[in-house]
Amino acid sequence: MLGAEVTFDVALPKIVWGWLVSTNMWAKSIATGTFLLGLYFIKKYPEQDSFFRKWVPILGLIFIGITLLVTVLDLHHMFRFWKIFAFAHFTSAVTLGAWVVSGFVIILLIAFWSWVTGNKKLFDKVMIPGFILAFFATIYTAGIMGEATGREVWVFPSEMISMLLSAMIAGSAAFLIVDAIYGKVLKENVRRELGYILFGSAGIAAAMFIGELFFAKMHSEFAYKVVEQLAFGEVAPFFWGGMFLTFIIPMILVGIANENRKYHYAFLGALSAIVGLWLIKHAWLIAPQTLPLS
Amino acid sequence: MKSIKPLGGWPMRLGFLVDLSRCMGCMACAVSCKAENNVPLHSWRLRVKYIDQGEFPNTKRHFVPLRCNHCDNAPCERICPVSALHYLPNGIVNVDHDRCIGCASCMMACPYNAIYLDPITNSADKCTYCAHRIEVGMMPACVVACPTHANIFGDLDDPESEISKYLQQHRDVMVRKPELNTHPKHFYVRGSTVALDPLASERPEGYTLFTEVKFLDHIGGN
Repeated sequence: MLGAEVTFDVALPKIVWGWLVSTNMWAKSIATGTFLLGLYFIKKYPEQDSFFRKWVPILGLIFIGITLLVTVLDLHHMFRFWKIFAFAHFTSAVTLGAWVVSGFVIILLIAFWSWVTGNKKLFDKVMIPGFILAFFATIYTAGIMGEATGREVWVFPSEMISMLLSAMIAGSAAFLIVDAIYGKVLKENVRRELGYILFGSAGIAAAMFIGELFFAKMHSEFAYKVVEQLAFGEVAPFFWGGMFLTFIIPMILVGIANENRKYHYAFLGALSAIVGLWLIKHAWLIAPQTLPLS
Repeated sequence: MKSIKPLGGWPMRLGFLVDLSRCMGCMACAVSCKAENNVPLHSWRLRVKYIDQGEFPNTKRHFVPLRCNHCDNAPCERICPVSALHYLPNGIVNVDHDRCIGCASCMMACPYNAIYLDPITNSADKCTYCAHRIEVGMMPACVVACPTHANIFGDLDDPESEISKYLQQHRDVMVRKPELNTHPKHFYVRGSTVALDPLASERPEGYTLFTEVKFLDHIGGN
């Protein structure tokens, strides 16, 4: 600071992308995370695949539906949404995302039809394209963040890995919750493995957040100020709430659950992770928008 | 300055230069821009920021006109999902209001806060260097209105243009945020960090000269 202050200026737009965009990222993590993990468990435990063949399309369609709904609601011209297909501009990660998610919805509909009709081979045929589309549906938001040159913290190199870890956290937590609600239909080894995935993903994601935000060298003054906002500013309650609920509490509860075979702790840990994930995504989204760019 | 040229190249590359030593903060440019382009209340294509520096009696005031930088490597153009933001052959980054879907990605991408969502049309909008006036051979409205000729506008590719000569004759030419690789075509002469870096000055809440509003919570008509 050079002993200077702005004495006259116009009012600047503050939060342009708000809770609808946070919800978009959160719901997409659940949809793609359940799909990616669902494929893994179907392949690894074919004797228990009925649970995953049922819940992969149901959870996927519900949460990708929420993603699409909030995306369209956030548009200031929601009835022009079709233009993203008619006038597609493929340098934009927004465009690529719209196309990839549309493809992913088709795969989910096929998976749903496969479950309804009991035709397992139908889902098996679309597993590879489904994996590819779910993977890119998970990470395209990192592309949008990378293109958002004005908001530097979004442009961190590990954003893509962070999105994948979010999907793993959300996917494993969602399956643990469904399993608990429907009377523990999964065998113990699958439930334990879901717990380990949640534990591991939360641990790695927390380490990345802490390492990148607090131990790494900030590449600009703007990025440094954003980290100040996250840690001590107006979004700090979201950030620290998210850190505890998404990473620390689930790790403790899932750890207890798997160690002592008391799986209701895993259910609570999974709930905590799902709630916390929204908070931390919201903090991440809002913080760079609280600073003036001009 | 590296240019992202289309096949066949640009016929010209229009740019802006503000000599900050000439600007006296009269706002004629901002008012003429509003009138010329029907810019609604609470929205600005061009604004002039006042920054006071130092302590009495050793104080100085900086006036900084801020508008779209019409970057050669424009992040807003790259992120726009429907090409509503696009390059014109003269280097201007233009907006197609009818094409815009109102996703605000361009507002997130622009590092200069130069784009707004028009609360009436709900489409993104910004300074177009008065492309409609240039098309018929007129200067942008802000250039005409400036009483001190602080705004200098012209073809950067023409070595005989006033802007090119100004750039050649002055050593203290600055652009905003050059580290972001956007290659702005908007230059400042006799600028300073205080004037051009938004984080080099405080934005105190509630006691600016004419307004107490620091941020708009409501964006556009959504």
